[in-house]
Amino acid sequence: MSLLATKTTEGPVLAEHGSARAASRNLSYDLPDKPVVTIEAARSWVPLNLRDLWAYRELLYFLIWRDIKVRYKQTVLGAAWAVIQPLVTMLIFTYFFGKLARVPTDGAPYPIFFYTGLLLWTFFSNGVTGGGNSLIGNSNLITKVYFPRLIIPSAAVGAGLLDFAIAAVLLVGMLVYYGFSVTWAYLMILPLIVLTTVFALGVGIWVSALNVKYRDVRYALPFLIQLWFFVSPIIYPSSLVPEEQRWLLALNPITGIVESFRASLFGRQPPWAALAYSGGVALVMLVYSSYIFRRMERSFAEFI
Amino acid sequence: MKPIIKVEGISKQFRINPGEAPSRRYDTLRESLVKLVRSPFARNQSGSDIIWALKDVTFDVKPGEVMGIIGSNGAGKSTLLKVLSRIIEPTSGRVELYGRVTSLLEVGTGFHPDLSGRENVYLNGAIMGMKRREIDTRFDEIVAFSEVEKFIDTSVKHYSSGMYLRLAFAVAAHLDPEILIVDEVLAVGDASFQKKCLGKMDDVTRSGRTVLLVTHSLGMVTQHCGRAILLDGGRIIRAGQAQEVVGYYDVMCASSQ
Repeated sequence: MSLLATKTTEGPVLAEHGSARAASRNLSYDLPDKPVVTIEAARSWVPLNLRDLWAYRELLYFLIWRDIKVRYKQTVLGAAWAVIQPLVTMLIFTYFFGKLARVPTDGAPYPIFFYTGLLLWTFFSNGVTGGGNSLIGNSNLITKVYFPRLIIPSAAVGAGLLDFAIAAVLLVGMLVYYGFSVTWAYLMILPLIVLTTVFALGVGIWVSALNVKYRDVRYALPFLIQLWFFVSPIIYPSSLVPEEQRWLLALNPITGIVESFRASLFGRQPPWAALAYSGGVALVMLVYSSYIFRRMERSFAEFI
Repeated sequence: MKPIIKVEGISKQFRINPGEAPSRRYDTLRESLVKLVRSPFARNQSGSDIIWALKDVTFDVKPGEVMGIIGSNGAGKSTLLKVLSRIIEPTSGRVELYGRVTSLLEVGTGFHPDLSGRENVYLNGAIMGMKRREIDTRFDEIVAFSEVEKFIDTSVKHYSSGMYLRLAFAVAAHLDPEILIVDEVLAVGDASFQKKCLGKMDDVTRSGRTVLLVTHSLGMVTQHCGRAILLDGGRIIRAGQAQEVVGYYDVMCASSQ
């Protein structure tokens, strides 16, 4: 049995003669002059529609909240996992790359050198992986409700910020332990986190859209992320690379971000040129991938 | 009076490859590359067929009207609802909506089994377009309606399917859109709960809401809808007074058997 009792006591409201009767009902609103929503086959380039995104900002909040809630449900250690992952990796790196291989660190103690790099890298790579797989994981929403789809990968990246914050507490402890003092350079940290977020969004959004159409992405992604890790200065400083090849390393936007992060914590001069390049690439990537996403978005429900 | 929903010449084209199993609907990168190498100029020759799920569909709905959409399986009803809900995009044509739309293609969209009933009410409400404040003010009402007060802080995965559906319907019943688009999904709960839902939906339509209703239950259409349209093969083949359209559909079904 079906449930909808939609009783129209006035009988049929036909276009020609029913208008007076329809008007006599207690309509609690007036029709706007312009349509609230117009649906059309879109042209090849669709505008970003930031107003629509803004209108759905609460949904972004709720999806981030859901991702965080669900992530550590039924785990014994809960949010401690956010620290364990970079911490254990740092300990292993300190032993093998530090104590045994004696990788140079530009003077910083090994644990803090590795941990700073891993902190940013874990946030970035989790953001890209989580964002990239987010559309597929939320296919039930995409085929049933309308909302700006950009919210889904954005929420996946945003949820990573909490893990980052939890793991950063340990970094503060290490800074105190090794006797680093707070300087004005610490003001750089917040913009650097924003920059990492922007870049993670840029890459994550792009990957998520490709993933809907080409499922190869799901298999290629872990592999590519691993390669990316090795060409980023996480387990070594850029200064390890010979001067004439260093520009190659700096082509990777992560280089400028990680080096600047370390520089501002350890009281050195950040590599401004590399940082400016990273900022530029991150912004261009975000704008580009948002447009690509918008263009592919309209066929998501058919492909997913 | 101006219509609240204006549908002008909506068509929707799907490409299907009959030789392909459903699980292979999406391309892999390699396939695309191979296709590109083999036939760089032919875009679409691998036996893919074009079907028109909707063809030149035009109609208006006035504010406060309750309109039924009927037709046999594959007539294009769901596609039409999905176009109006902005889930899929039309190939051509234009729709103007003069009000806030909520579409109920299923109840409980986005419910997460690991979250509690309370958390799911907020999540589902937000997904359906409710503001946080609206959910706050209606929360008690929703929970009371669903009759699962005692378990509201239990994970939804421990709910019986009846409880789950009652909570899901309760959220849907407390949405406040100007235009409501409903697919035939709302058969939930035991007899007494169904009666309660009927009453709720009665209130909803009396408050001047515009409702588009897709259903296979012809009795419901004649009983509750003012007008109806009949779809067949993606086209509107009959539109008008609900009784008359249902009668026509009955004759059509009888003669095709």
